[in-house]
Amino acid sequence: MENGFIILFGLTMLYLSATSRLKAHVNALIVQGILLFLICSTGFSHLPILAIIFLTVETLIVKAILIPIFLNKVLKKTHSNRDTDANIAHFWCLLISSVILFMGFMVGVVDIPSLSMINPICFGIGLATIIISLWLITIKHNILSNVIEFITMENGIFLLSMSVAKEMPMLVNIGVLLDVFIAIYILGLFVSQINKELGDMEVAHLSDLKDCEYDD
Amino acid sequence: MMISLVLILPIIFCIVLYFLKNKTMNNILIIAYSFLHMLINIFYFVNPNLLGNNQYFALSSSNYIFYLILSVIFLATAIYNSGYLKILNNKFDNKKMTHYSIMILFFVLSMTGGILSNNLGLAWIFIEGTTLATAYLIYFNKTKHSIEAAWKYVFICSIGIALAFVGIILLTIATGSVNSLNYSELLRNAHSFNHFWLNVSFVFILFGIGTKMGLAPVHFWLPDAHAEAPSPISALLSATLLNCAFLIILNVYKIMMVADCVHFAKIMLLTMGFLSLFVTSVFLFHTTNYKRMLAYSSIENMGILAIATALGGVAYIALIIHLIGHSLIKASFFLTSGNVLELFETKRIKSIKALGSVDKNTSWLWIVSFLGICAFPPSMLFVSEFLIVKTMLVEKNYILCALFLFLLTVILYGMSKVVIKMIYGTGNEEKLSKAKANLSKITISMYAPQMVLLVLAFVFGLYMPEFLEQIIKVTIAG
Repeated sequence: MENGFIILFGLTMLYLSATSRLKAHVNALIVQGILLFLICSTGFSHLPILAIIFLTVETLIVKAILIPIFLNKVLKKTHSNRDTDANIAHFWCLLISSVILFMGFMVGVVDIPSLSMINPICFGIGLATIIISLWLITIKHNILSNVIEFITMENGIFLLSMSVAKEMPMLVNIGVLLDVFIAIYILGLFVSQINKELGDMEVAHLSDLKDCEYDD
Repeated sequence: MMISLVLILPIIFCIVLYFLKNKTMNNILIIAYSFLHMLINIFYFVNPNLLGNNQYFALSSSNYIFYLILSVIFLATAIYNSGYLKILNNKFDNKKMTHYSIMILFFVLSMTGGILSNNLGLAWIFIEGTTLATAYLIYFNKTKHSIEAAWKYVFICSIGIALAFVGIILLTIATGSVNSLNYSELLRNAHSFNHFWLNVSFVFILFGIGTKMGLAPVHFWLPDAHAEAPSPISALLSATLLNCAFLIILNVYKIMMVADCVHFAKIMLLTMGFLSLFVTSVFLFHTTNYKRMLAYSSIENMGILAIATALGGVAYIALIIHLIGHSLIKASFFLTSGNVLELFETKRIKSIKALGSVDKNTSWLWIVSFLGICAFPPSMLFVSEFLIVKTMLVEKNYILCALFLFLLTVILYGMSKVVIKMIYGTGNEEKLSKAKANLSKITISMYAPQMVLLVLAFVFGLYMPEFLEQIIKVTIAG
């Protein structure tokens, strides 16, 4: 059953690629959080009970509840609705994301001997999520979009870490939590400050510092 | 015992500072922590049993030199900071100054944890901790430029650190049945690791941690962040934080060596090293901001460290000497840039002329730091770069050697052009008199640390004391 959840998780990345509404991006994050929670609870019984409790509680509370609430607050505060200035049209965005996701899916389907120690579908979709997120970061111009894609990348990394069938050290779980903390605390804090300082959320306004002449 | 103390005490200090919100205590506790940090070095030599090494944190032959550098630079910066705080205290309120001091303690704690970590996962967490602390410090001045620099720093480094985490996950796949990220455990079993996954994981770790280390092509945050941070923070960022990131790369490289995957790792390191030199030589030529110039110089020196690691052999000695020399000289250079900034109130190279006539001490420190960083003999960097060139010639890598020397010459020309322009010439009378009026801000504690650091960097270039020679030998063996 967890494979179904993993594929659904991958499909949320296609939704993210095809929409410019930031509210929809946050909703996709909620869905990803819930799916990660379901993946943790159903497919990883080989882990110690403490690790399962930690992972499930972390994914449900932090990824599906806290981060979306926080991002919604920032959206309201900054009056941000859409990210319309992406470098590539939605159609191409969706097409390229689909190709990346398909390749990730193929990693999971094709029998590769060196992948024997991992859950291939989890690994493939996790890797595809990371690549799609990184790609979306490079083509989008809104700071909030970039933050959301950073969080989806973290979700992809989380999925990737769960693909390793052997018992993962607790430290890695703490590491994931710390990344989430960065997403909320630093990125969130800076988003508000940038909005206060620059008036809107365009990345283009953050390009004053360069090696040619500028006022200091 | 002592290791636990050096990791727990700053947390207690932070809590005390948070509740006291007292400007004098800020200074006292930062200096107290820097002395405690230094004290550990004495225990390392006198009675290592009292250090209290454990499975998570240990001071051993392989990481000791990194710890020693951090201690020395932190002590020098803390002394400089005591003078710098007097200037900041006049500008900012108690609350902000307390946050500044807390973040410095948290920053040094994270670096210390990163160096002492026996475990790759734990080292990764501490490196992430440094991002949290320094983001606030880079944004300290709360200007449009500082928020831009801090944003780029946080965003790029977070992505880098996340990629490094992917590398760690891939490493756990490579390790097969080994269920640990402990360095000694990994080294012991490295021969049985899956080569494909190990190579892939090294790429991710090198790019991820290399972002933090400032290696090209993932260096973009570095010139902005180093230029916008307050000068003592720039000194710590450049002279210690980059080393912490390098230590992680070095530890993973050792695993690659034992696993017999070193050829691939060498190519990666050489590519990024030479790319760093190339980027520096191009951008340094056009830079208009002297703090950015120093930041680019850090990228150059990180590139040299990567090249020395890849070359191996005698270049390992060069690597350690370069590590020490760069940290001592670059810290001095950045701290002196703080004096220049306080005097002229600008970072623009064009706006600074006749520094020599405004403040002789600062101008001498500026010149000597420049001579040191450009590897003029008897600077330690001369010794290290000479050894690197020698290794290249012995191994008959003539093209690499020529490229290395060419890029260093271009960088030398770019830097000397800026330094000479700033020291000599006739400036605007009004600006000069304003700069002279600012001279009263610069206290003795804003000269002395740089003098000591430079003396060490040049004396060690001429004569290497036995204890330092021993440390270098042990580090290479470790």
